[in-house]
Amino acid sequence: MNILSVSHLTKKFNLPTGGFTAVNNISFELKEGEILGLLGPNGAGKTTTIQMLLGIIIPTAGSIHYFAKDFFRHRQYCLGKINYASAFNTLQGRTTVMENLLVFSELYAVADPKKKILELLEYFEMTALANERYWDLSSGERTRINLIKSLLNDPQLILMDEPTASLDPDIADKTMSLIEKLKKDKRMSILFTSHNMAEVTRICDRVIFLDRGDIVAQDTPLGLTKSIKKTELQLTFDTGKDLIQQYVTEHSLKHNFINGHVVVIQTAEKQIPKVIFGISKKGVWMTDIEVRKPTLEDVFLQIARGKPHEFTKD
Amino acid sequence: MHEAFITRHSYEVINDIVIYPLWSIIVFGFLTIYLAGVAGAAVAHYVLIGMILWQIINITQYSIAVGCLWDVWARNLTNIFITPISIGEYLIAYTISGAVKALVVIILGGILSFLVFRFNILQVGLVNFWLYFINLVLFAFTFGIIILSLVFRFGTRIQAFAWGLITFFQPLMAVIYPVSILPEPLKTIAYIFPPTYVFEAARTSLGTPQIQWLPSLMALFLNMVWFLLAVVFFNLMFRQSREIGQFAKLEG
Repeated sequence: MNILSVSHLTKKFNLPTGGFTAVNNISFELKEGEILGLLGPNGAGKTTTIQMLLGIIIPTAGSIHYFAKDFFRHRQYCLGKINYASAFNTLQGRTTVMENLLVFSELYAVADPKKKILELLEYFEMTALANERYWDLSSGERTRINLIKSLLNDPQLILMDEPTASLDPDIADKTMSLIEKLKKDKRMSILFTSHNMAEVTRICDRVIFLDRGDIVAQDTPLGLTKSIKKTELQLTFDTGKDLIQQYVTEHSLKHNFINGHVVVIQTAEKQIPKVIFGISKKGVWMTDIEVRKPTLEDVFLQIARGKPHEFTKD
Repeated sequence: MHEAFITRHSYEVINDIVIYPLWSIIVFGFLTIYLAGVAGAAVAHYVLIGMILWQIINITQYSIAVGCLWDVWARNLTNIFITPISIGEYLIAYTISGAVKALVVIILGGILSFLVFRFNILQVGLVNFWLYFINLVLFAFTFGIIILSLVFRFGTRIQAFAWGLITFFQPLMAVIYPVSILPEPLKTIAYIFPPTYVFEAARTSLGTPQIQWLPSLMALFLNMVWFLLAVVFFNLMFRQSREIGQFAKLEG
């Protein structure tokens, strides 16, 4: 069953400088237990999409269905079964963690709220902070408390808007591990936005790329990276720049000399042994060989820049 | 619960809804002592009853408008609005909390004015007191909705309205003086506001034990009209705010 179905969703804003389409006729589904990444450069329409999915922005056109129910007709039913966590929203800073969570437990009509909160605090190893004021917590602690808030109602779907933004790598990694654990333990569906491609590759089953309001690509992270055919081969050498130049010119290979001793050559993955052998055969002594396969970041950059990586062909 | 937790941790809220109203009652209490000497006890009591009842409007509308702003300032409003509660439930919850706070402060203010200034607020009669209280809470609720409509639509740049706009209309509601002293055009405007009937009735009831049904029903009728208009206005502003993305920007 589809947890979420979005059909022809559009948002146009009328600005003094003219009309602006933030989200243009997008459609997608999210299945039970699936983590779907919503990616794109700044201004792509990710946040506007999430805000429409939460009902805090009204779409210009299109429909949103949660659990096969129209969101705008069954707002309260749908909101009772979903939740939201974002690095850009915080809880009430003046009140304690426990007080904040008690308020949201009441709003979500959680049965036995104290028990539920204590269970979740334990799950996230945050029990010691229950009576701390929210604004006294570190960014990482706040992120985890936000996640706890988003789990109070045992949601079937969580919308996560850059949950690891502004976290240091260690805390971000721990947060990602928690999300992975949630997926495994609770079979939860997650709509996830992030600018961190490594995170997206790590947890998302499927990815949708948005650019200027349009869906420009959607596939699994692996499928998307495979859409970039070229692999980068970085060679470090002592002498023989001219010989390498000669080889890449003969074989029409895109390349870029980083400096007098390092060259990056773009080629198909299966051609790598042939290239190394060919250059070696010309008498070049290579001191280091590094193969860099395309990542989701390359897909992102390709989409954001509207063109593939630029390689000089001298 | 949310309000209680915030209030417990916020000195400024306690100041705004407890200390400042009580302080106003004290200041006006001393003024009444002076007025009693120069203009008679009746005039003095008019001023004091007006100031005490005014706190009902002040505290309740503050509770709704500023209560919401606490969530905006904390970037918590989205979290609240994506829960299954309806906007109506949200507003009613703040009104109940505001009315409870107002009642507590009025009881404290009543005790204070009795002990210090020998003025018994229940001199207006218990039934009258409740009629006034209900009407003033209803008006404050409506006024709070209007303020929130403006905050949602135009953002926090007009947040000062939350605690300041009501005082702009205070002179027109004849809180501490009779409507009759207002210039002719302002008299007509004064009678558009439900609290004007309440304050007039309160002054009358200081001198007579009769229940002030007529002005109270008139105030109730006007409150209903104001409330319906406020709901229409709120729905319009709230919808526009979500259409143009202003609501989402409130926390940005």
